[in-house]
Amino acid sequence: MWKWIQRQASPKVFYQTCNRLIPWFFWPFISLLIVGLYWSLVISPADYQQGDGYRIIFIHVPSAILSMMIYAIMAVAGGIGLIWQIKMAEVVAKVSAPIGAAFTIIALASGAIWGKPMWGAWWVWDARLTSELILLFLYLAYMSLNSAFDNPRTAAKSSSILAIVGLINLPIIHYSVKWWNTLHQGYSVGTGGIKDPDMKIALALMFLASIFLYALLVSIKARTEVLIREQNSRWVKDEVSGVVL
Amino acid sequence: MTMVEYFSFLPYGKYAFYVWLAYGVSALTVITLFINAKRTYKRTILSLKNKFSINQ
Repeated sequence: MWKWIQRQASPKVFYQTCNRLIPWFFWPFISLLIVGLYWSLVISPADYQQGDGYRIIFIHVPSAILSMMIYAIMAVAGGIGLIWQIKMAEVVAKVSAPIGAAFTIIALASGAIWGKPMWGAWWVWDARLTSELILLFLYLAYMSLNSAFDNPRTAAKSSSILAIVGLINLPIIHYSVKWWNTLHQGYSVGTGGIKDPDMKIALALMFLASIFLYALLVSIKARTEVLIREQNSRWVKDEVSGVVL
Repeated sequence: MTMVEYFSFLPYGKYAFYVWLAYGVSALTVITLFINAKRTYKRTILSLKNKFSINQ
């Protein structure tokens, strides 16, 4: 097992694995997205309180979960890079940041758009919203710090420390609706969450589509990052000469 | 006439503006991310191809 991990951590094998995985992530993503959108917008019934306005949760909830999940992956990968000096973990952490930031923007924007007809305001300084906004700032800080150094190893080290420190924000986001008396509704998934089976299926499909989208984007971005970092290696020259654009 | 009233001919009536705006913003963000990732990869390959042909 350890040998297999070590083999995957080699830049050449990692690059080739990313290349091979792209179609395996792309087609499930497209299929899940099409079926998920159909289930979200057509099959799922209107909510008895929120009418059709609730349909925004099918993009809001998956993107909010992904925004936190990607941050956790980024911090763990950063930690692995720090402790075991695995360069490919640093690559995963670095390329995950803009994707996580995009999911956070989607969560914040869709939440604000949902908030206007339901609460009567685009934004309130509620604990859940504020902690999610802090998550966006953490992503932005990570990306700024990572691009502030010329040496990618130094950049990875300093930004990984920031990512690990920022992990404290994740339980705050998750439990904010329990710890404080917030305007934001409670959990949409699990006890007290949505009950209708069609709504649950739609949410599950959109969540799975988001996971495949993340995996797809990481694969595309990681192979680019590996090529840039390893551009002086012999194998990069061989790989690049074989690529037809 | 407000934006909400203007877009009420779309499915979901009085919520149409908000629902389609949310899905539109999300689609735009994802498409931008995807195109940017593909474009950066292509640019990197081209610049490396250039670099290696110069070095040869």
